[in-house]
Amino acid sequence: MGQHVRLWLSELWEWVEALLAGKSTPDESELDFHVAVTARAVVDAVVPETPELGDELGAVAVPGGLAIGMETFLVTFVDGLFQFGFPHVGTRGNLPLAVPMAEVLDVAADALVARGDNESEPDVERAVALFDAGDTSPRRVRRNAGAFATLSRRDRLRALGLLDEFELRVSPFGHGLFEFDAGLVGQLVVGFAEMIYYSEWDGYDDFSLPPSERTHPNDPAAVQGWRQTGYPGVADGYAALRGYVGADDSPLGAGETWTTLDERVDVVRESGTFRENEYDTTGYEEPYPE
Amino acid sequence: MVASHYDAVVVGAGGDGPVAAWKLAEAGRSVLLVEAGPFYGNERWPKPNESPGAESSSSVDDLSGALLDEQFTTRELEMIRKLVFGPADHERGFWLRKFPGDGAILQCAGVGGTTLHYTGCHPRAYPASVDEQPHWPIDYADLIPYYQEVEAMCEVTPAPVTAKEELFFRGAAAAGWDLLDGLNVTEPGYRPQPNAIRQPDPRLHVDAGYGGDFSYPDVEGDTLALGSIAGHPFPRGAPYEEKAKRASNISFVPAALRTGTVTVRPNAFVTAIETDSAGIDHPTATGVRFRDTWSGRVETVRSEVVVLAAGAIETPRLWLNADLPRNEWVGRGMTIHFGDNVMGLWDAADLESRIGQDTIDQFQGQDIAARFDYPGLGMLQTVGTAPGIGAILGFGSSASGFAFQNDPADAPWDTVGRLAGAELKRLLSGYRRMLQVLVVSDDRPHRRNGVTVAPGIEDEHGPIPLVNYEPSAGDRQRRDRLAEIAAEILREAGATHVHRSDSPPTALHVHSTMAMGKVVDEACEAFDVDRLFVADHSALANGVGGANPTNTGQALAARTAERILERYF
Repeated sequence: MGQHVRLWLSELWEWVEALLAGKSTPDESELDFHVAVTARAVVDAVVPETPELGDELGAVAVPGGLAIGMETFLVTFVDGLFQFGFPHVGTRGNLPLAVPMAEVLDVAADALVARGDNESEPDVERAVALFDAGDTSPRRVRRNAGAFATLSRRDRLRALGLLDEFELRVSPFGHGLFEFDAGLVGQLVVGFAEMIYYSEWDGYDDFSLPPSERTHPNDPAAVQGWRQTGYPGVADGYAALRGYVGADDSPLGAGETWTTLDERVDVVRESGTFRENEYDTTGYEEPYPE
Repeated sequence: MVASHYDAVVVGAGGDGPVAAWKLAEAGRSVLLVEAGPFYGNERWPKPNESPGAESSSSVDDLSGALLDEQFTTRELEMIRKLVFGPADHERGFWLRKFPGDGAILQCAGVGGTTLHYTGCHPRAYPASVDEQPHWPIDYADLIPYYQEVEAMCEVTPAPVTAKEELFFRGAAAAGWDLLDGLNVTEPGYRPQPNAIRQPDPRLHVDAGYGGDFSYPDVEGDTLALGSIAGHPFPRGAPYEEKAKRASNISFVPAALRTGTVTVRPNAFVTAIETDSAGIDHPTATGVRFRDTWSGRVETVRSEVVVLAAGAIETPRLWLNADLPRNEWVGRGMTIHFGDNVMGLWDAADLESRIGQDTIDQFQGQDIAARFDYPGLGMLQTVGTAPGIGAILGFGSSASGFAFQNDPADAPWDTVGRLAGAELKRLLSGYRRMLQVLVVSDDRPHRRNGVTVAPGIEDEHGPIPLVNYEPSAGDRQRRDRLAEIAAEILREAGATHVHRSDSPPTALHVHSTMAMGKVVDEACEAFDVDRLFVADHSALANGVGGANPTNTGQALAARTAERILERYF
């Protein structure tokens, strides 16, 4: 498996290098489409549409990331996340990671199936179902869907779980050996995807504008992730002060008691101060000696 | 161009570099403070992410609270893109650093460095981590006067209590732990965070019926709006130096500029340390070479001393990329406070009976305001987050796969692992009734852990840092025990569901890669290079016991500046 990934990634990097060097590749748009299908499969697994939560939590909980077009932003975000200053592409080049990301996910899906750890049989119709009818031709989806997009949602997550096992060594742009963690792909498509989904992203008019030109309404009505969590948006302040922790025999806390935490400790009106206490470490014992 | 010669060049205007710059300048020395990232809140860079702006700033009059208000929106995704370690230009991505597995390194670029993101937590080291662990060549007592100086500059006080802190303290007290009230912690217990955030206006008390807005001068001090990880510009409308969070850009940078002898040069990545005699056994540092991150132009500046304060990843990277003597501990012995997240979820009725309201609303109050200390193990702290950062911090990664793949059986948590899909959405629908506890363990220096570089794996500033980290058995035991204590506290506080992330190693606090006693001497001058000092967290001899390291890093930087003055001026 590791060898397979390495060989495959070497070829991939050659392709990326060719692309960045301005050499056209005949199937560029189809490769982009493969990335698009894969990104939909990622979003559909990580933040899916969940009709099953409707009864429990209300209609607000049902839509997922595809309903707000997060797959498109995920690709843009991943491609712009790291800059690498390669001599070949000038010092302002960002590292285009979406293509390798999609391909690594397919490799992981193949590995899951090869190990027999998938619970459901792969089915290309799952990839077709990631699109609304009329969005694109089912034939085109079937032609470009990689292994990852054919897995069930749970099996896609299982495949992601395999990525941490691999340390990939590739040679980007023919300049030495670079260790590329497949774990980074897992971080991008799970951790970062979750952060984007629940962040303010959905509310921007256009996140690709320069920061000073972006507008954001700071309103849960414009941010699906905020509606689904009850987060009210950013605020300038809250009148939420309860007081300070204090105790009678301590310089911490002063003034009237607001509430009692236990028989000795209260929340009081004023803060008091920490003690510049004498200290003695002679009785220190390592709980877990090395 | 900045001047061609200074008494001192300080590499990095992060949490610690400005402390050294301030101390040196107070003694009348001329200082160039070089920073890789932008300078937010400075009128010489009105759009710091969009155009190069000016070259340098030498006047406190350049600082602008209004610009900081505009640039620090506190929207979490936008602020992560602005602050995390990368060039100022918003069209360019982060600088890539290799880290194992699906962990990550949290570094920030910009004047203020990682204190732009930090939550203001300013505890001291645990005394035993200095005096009883085998790493430090100096005593804890040597640090105390410097702690006191830094704590006064940063206005460190006990953090306020809002709903989430009350809930945590109730759990800790019910679990049988004692309240600690000392600055020098030798026993386990809980206490308010010693935070470098001005306390809130008393009119923000829940009983006071405050109906005004939350901007200066109507309110002064903190406004309890949870903005620290996203820059914390509060109170809105305040002059630059009246902002509540005393990050180094608010506390030490203005003090340094006010001396009149400090120049801050942002957007400048230092790529080489100049010496009088490259290649010999014991050279003398004579200056640095840096590259403008907008134009690519390279400049060289000479100085009497060079002070490295680029952080515990970049400082050893710079050494390793410079033509300096090899030392087997440069870059090694890295500690990162090998961490974890344990989350509690409450039923509304249980919250009502404990804290008098049916939600916790973690978005109110200071980000991190309650803590639990355990010298020998590390610490726990409550973390309020907006939901995006909460999701990536608490649920987005794990060393043990997805929660649906794990059966925790008799463990003190109900679920463990990464969350995604319907499970994630169901849990986050309870965002207003959840509270996360960050587990921060006292991991120990091991030579295998740290920073290396390799030819060919490079960006425009040379070979990039390749970071390795593998915790020891003891590190894992300390973290596991802390996670259990966290679960007990959350249960005692009434949580009905406890989730453990089992996070992969992630470098939130990074230290000890240029350790005192191994790479630098007791004055933090390199053993192998004269006039080359280290004044950042990389000089810490270990992870200070698991306590937040900013106070100790700054105290040591202040001490190092005094030693520099004694030796060379």
